[in-house]
Amino acid sequence: MTIAIVCIAGVGLVAAVVLAVADKYLSVKEDPRIGMVTAALPGANCGGCGFPGCDGYARALVAGTAPNGACAAGGDACAAEIAKILGVAATATEKRVALVKCCGTRSEAIRVGDYNGICDCNVAAMTAGGDKGCTYGCLGYGACANVCPKGAISIHDGLAKVDKRLCIGCGKCVAICPKKLIELVPASATIHVLCNNPDKGPSVRKVCGVGCMGCHLCEKNSGGKEAGHFTFQGFLAKVNYENPPTDAQIVAKCPAKCMAEDAHFESGH
Amino acid sequence: MSYYLMLLVGAVLVNNFVLNRFLGCCPFLGVSKKMDTALGMSGAVVFVMTMASAVTWCLDHWLLAPNGLGYIHTLAFILVIASLVQFIDIAMKRFLPPLHAALGIFLPLITTNCAVLGAAEINCKQGSGFLESVFFSFAAAIGFGFALVLFSGIREKLAHADPPRCFRGIAIALVTGGLLSLAFMGFSGLVKLPY
Amino acid sequence: MKTVKSPFKFKGGVHPDYNKELAREQPIEKLPLPAELVISMSQHLGAPAKCLVKVGDFVKRGQVVGEKNGFISVCVRASADGKVKAIEKRLGPAGGKADAIILDTTAKPDGEEAAAPVTEPILPPLDWKTASREDLLKRVEDAGICGMGGAGFPTNVKLNPPPGKRCEYLILNGAECEPYLTADYRVMLENAPRIRLGVEIMRKILGGPAVRIAIEANKPEAIKAMEDAFADIDGNVEIVVLPVLYPQGSEKHQIYATVGRVVPEPPALPIDVGCVVENVGTVAAIADAVELGEPLLTRVTTVSGDAVTTPKNILAPCGTKYSDLVAFCGGEKVPPAKVVSGGTMMGFAVSTLEIATTKTTSGLLLLSPKRVTQYASQPCINCGRCVRACPMNLNAADIAKAVEADDIKAAEDAHVMSCIECGACSFSCPAYRPITQFCRRAKNSIRARMAAEKAKAAAAAKK
Repeated sequence: MTIAIVCIAGVGLVAAVVLAVADKYLSVKEDPRIGMVTAALPGANCGGCGFPGCDGYARALVAGTAPNGACAAGGDACAAEIAKILGVAATATEKRVALVKCCGTRSEAIRVGDYNGICDCNVAAMTAGGDKGCTYGCLGYGACANVCPKGAISIHDGLAKVDKRLCIGCGKCVAICPKKLIELVPASATIHVLCNNPDKGPSVRKVCGVGCMGCHLCEKNSGGKEAGHFTFQGFLAKVNYENPPTDAQIVAKCPAKCMAEDAHFESGH
Repeated sequence: MSYYLMLLVGAVLVNNFVLNRFLGCCPFLGVSKKMDTALGMSGAVVFVMTMASAVTWCLDHWLLAPNGLGYIHTLAFILVIASLVQFIDIAMKRFLPPLHAALGIFLPLITTNCAVLGAAEINCKQGSGFLESVFFSFAAAIGFGFALVLFSGIREKLAHADPPRCFRGIAIALVTGGLLSLAFMGFSGLVKLPY
Repeated sequence: MKTVKSPFKFKGGVHPDYNKELAREQPIEKLPLPAELVISMSQHLGAPAKCLVKVGDFVKRGQVVGEKNGFISVCVRASADGKVKAIEKRLGPAGGKADAIILDTTAKPDGEEAAAPVTEPILPPLDWKTASREDLLKRVEDAGICGMGGAGFPTNVKLNPPPGKRCEYLILNGAECEPYLTADYRVMLENAPRIRLGVEIMRKILGGPAVRIAIEANKPEAIKAMEDAFADIDGNVEIVVLPVLYPQGSEKHQIYATVGRVVPEPPALPIDVGCVVENVGTVAAIADAVELGEPLLTRVTTVSGDAVTTPKNILAPCGTKYSDLVAFCGGEKVPPAKVVSGGTMMGFAVSTLEIATTKTTSGLLLLSPKRVTQYASQPCINCGRCVRACPMNLNAADIAKAVEADDIKAAEDAHVMSCIECGACSFSCPAYRPITQFCRRAKNSIRARMAAEKAKAAAAAKK
């Protein structure tokens, strides 16, 4: 009995000594802050910060090669905690969500052909520019929905819609849309123009029943050009999100019915 | 010479540690998603098993058996294997950081890998000599690596397949593992095994 | 000069129905000048040309309306006299939009009566025997010549190999392996002497390489015409008769079939194995540019298919709308189910006839519902037909499965960047899988990633 205990204890002691020596001479010292920052990050590994996963961003943060606040998913709370760990001042970032700037469903916008191929917007756009009459509009084959890490985008009647409640603002959908019609807008903004077609009114009307015609009524109804709530690209109205309009009435007054209030965002509409 | 050859064929094909004895299934399923990690893990296991069997043989032959402590050999073996794996973990983190990052949690899990303990136990039970024990463990590890690499090749193709929803992920992998095991039964009776 | 059979046969390839008899016997007809031309700034591979005119300007035939923008670029000249009605973005055949000049050819400047047809050459004719190599290259550049086989690579760049690379073989691409198309066939049949002159000029520019004229075996009359035209030419010139196989017209496969050299994976180019491949139409255009001072303003386009009343091979100015071409062929016999710009294998399906021809439009097909199938693609059955068909020796099934599972990295490892998008895989798939589309998707994704990495590296280097 005793000898058993002695033997086992002896073996254990030898092993412990070997490991202690190995730890002293062979171990790799890692900054403990990396682990703390990784724990503070949301862990979605969405890559929205531009780094490979939360661990990658944590390492870059501790190394000082990344700016704090690049994590859209973590938002302000996360940035503040990271700032505390690293001992730097926190920078505030406003939550941004994705907005699909098109409201041309299959019922409203015409399709000029039968697309018979891979169900992906980038591939469809390679074929004759897409099967939609409006070459700037949403094709609705779901490239954005597939790439969204939170499943916040759904396709209804050939049109993509973002659920604001689930969107973390990582920007993957913005990058993948072949028509470049998804934009990251402040989560607090409520009035939006859902169109991406800068062509003249009559040519827009030919291809879509709800396209922006560039009539400038939204600008007129929100205080005119001096108020600066809208800018225009060709014949397309764009909301100035630095100085957004606040009067929800202008949505109803839009003759093309291409504007929306916040409620439009919720999935299921 | 032919005896060692029979040991090799026996350990790799006929009585494969993973597919026949069902030892070491944890890393078999966990690390086999990519060929690179599978190869890395195989290398680590070969090293650990060979070293572990050498050390445990010496321990058993010179410390435990003379003192009539054969009954606690499991405990002693586990102690040795655990320390050895921990040592390799530290060494790999220092000298091969990418492989260490790729293997992740599965490297320390070699500790609880029944394949390593199993090999040591089989050697102990057979009472074989030092060279034979080490060679058998080495062959067993080669067999483990062989099965692991085969399986990872299949899984890389499976990743692009489209099985029914209920089978996705680990389910289809387990089914495949079972089929691979069935296939290896074809080697039964290939050699007359010493054990 | 002798005619030989192709000594090498590449692995893979398919045999689609050619249907060339629809337009084969139609001699090249000149299209009467349409009332409106849409001249795109992007008719070639590379940076689009920079527009030099503005709305309201009157331009003359052959005037430079778009200047070359960069090294890999080509100038654009007005294909006819007229007034610039508008300059706007127009849809091209491949689905992209580019700036285009809308030219009203019926408008004349005030005070000018219908002018007599211009007899003076637009550029001063050159005697190729006495002109210097640099002058000849400059002429090719000024004439706005790009590869007319479909890719549209600037010819003056191709004919000027970088230092250290020598052209050993000049290969003329007369294969025309696409179904329905007969434009190159008619050019060889009717304009063989022009092609011969073009070859002499190009030989001088390239420093005397051997010449191989590659023609598929299903064009015996064209082979005869070329034999007659090249009968007394000096130097190492051969006509190589290729087996009828798609994609024989692909430049890499043509190089292999004629001289047995293999072009390595991209970014390697044919010049890296000492070869320059040019379409026979481009060669004839070079002859016209040098001897007649005529820049590249027109090209032969085959209008075919069973939905067009009379298939024809039409010589039309670049910028002709498809609707004008179809009208010249007697209009639609039946409403087409599909309109294809190019051939049926690598052409682009278009949704409107308001698209205009470019320097590279070799065909326009109107296909009736009888010849078009709608299909639903199914999972891969691992039959391996696509692997057998792929002329680049790629595992098309694996690539398609990887791209379908969104694993672009696996597709890249399977060498998808070597894919020439010939369509042989999709053609041979019994499960109707759009494999070529999967490959194009992977290639686009990889190219976008490489461009982003390059931009990131450039930005980091600047810091």
